[in-house]
Amino acid sequence: MNNTVFRNIIRFVVLVALQGLFLKRVSDGWVSGSLYINIFLYPLFIMLLPLQTPRTGVLLLSFLMGISVDLFYDSLGVHAAALTAMGFARGLFLSLYEPREGYKLNANPTPGDLGMNWFLKYSASMLGLHLLVYFSVDAFSPIYVLGILTRTFFTFISTMVAILIFVFIFNPRR
Amino acid sequence: MRGLMQLFAAYGNFLLFGLLELIALILVVNFNERQGLIWDNSWGMATAGLDQSADWLGEQWALRDELIRLQGENIRLMEQLDNARYSNAVRQDTFLRDSTEQLFSYIPANVISNSTISTTNFLRLDKGSNQGVMPNMGVISTDGIVGVVRAVTPHYSQVMSLLHRQTRIKAAIASSRYFGTLTWDGKSSRYMQLEAIPKHAILEAGDTVVTSGFSQLFPEGLRVGVVEQYDLSGGGNFYNIQVKLRNDLNTVRYVYIIKNEMWKEHKELEEAVNE
Repeated sequence: MNNTVFRNIIRFVVLVALQGLFLKRVSDGWVSGSLYINIFLYPLFIMLLPLQTPRTGVLLLSFLMGISVDLFYDSLGVHAAALTAMGFARGLFLSLYEPREGYKLNANPTPGDLGMNWFLKYSASMLGLHLLVYFSVDAFSPIYVLGILTRTFFTFISTMVAILIFVFIFNPRR
Repeated sequence: MRGLMQLFAAYGNFLLFGLLELIALILVVNFNERQGLIWDNSWGMATAGLDQSADWLGEQWALRDELIRLQGENIRLMEQLDNARYSNAVRQDTFLRDSTEQLFSYIPANVISNSTISTTNFLRLDKGSNQGVMPNMGVISTDGIVGVVRAVTPHYSQVMSLLHRQTRIKAAIASSRYFGTLTWDGKSSRYMQLEAIPKHAILEAGDTVVTSGFSQLFPEGLRVGVVEQYDLSGGGNFYNIQVKLRNDLNTVRYVYIIKNEMWKEHKELEEAVNE
């Protein structure tokens, strides 16, 4: 149990640092302004929280994670709004994609525990929602709907690739 | 308190979600320049629209009061006109003395239903016997005459419109004083027919038609319309005259009911003759 909490704290710190110190610069055009790729890896923290985490905890952690990333991005509230929406939707997606025999008692929402197919469905839905809310709040007006949709689409592709790489490298089990 | 606890138990996460989103959006608006500008702009537009609606509503209420006030003012002025007063003078004295009595007084009313498409049209007004309305009172609007009260209830009255097959209004040519009867042929809601003007009368298109004052319904000299065209076809001794009405009965909203203060004496006279 303690081990799980510890792992998640580490994951929190690593993902915030990775997002705030490295991926932000990539999206700003790091390599002498030639590389502009938006990658939002930090939602992975909420996706990988153990299934037993109470929903209230998920919500509070989402908000905390969002605010932490916002501090690096200097966009207070935007990431927090998007990630809190995703944290709230996590319970809905989990019950939507519940296997026929139900979740095992100590299972984690990882490809190792529930299979690659399941994880792809789960992470794609969560990420799609997160990016849609993020770019909506970022644009803050319905007149930019076309921009919101194209950004969501391209960021979705790059981030899904990044998430899969991350999951393959670290292969988290808990 | 217990209900509140149960509410939190059932919807706690949703409420927490709403609260966190609210905090996040407040942060977005307050600490991000671009979103803050968009927010200020939209909020300004929304409240400006709301302000305008509120102003408009207030004006409507004020206008209602103003309308009632103006109706009262109109009545006060109309009742002072010569044609609304009965003169006691029998000879011209060397000095003028106020020797008139009120002959006509007015009751303001609103039209609550109206029709102009049948050949027997009626209007309904929102004043009735409670306000002193009685059958056989004339009804006018600011622009012309409207009809005659036929029936009353305590709160409402039914008015036979000018646009009715049985309408007989005593009217005269204003310049020559020849008098006749206004009727309606059931065709156009803007035209009536003036009958019984003898053929030796000199007419011209554009002559004004007024009430003659020979019925006790309308004061003398209220303008009804103008002569549009006339002819002597049919070989009779009277003109066929088309009168274009001054007021459009399709749009009439506010009217005045005319009360003849000496109606009773006229009735007594008629009864005395009939006996």
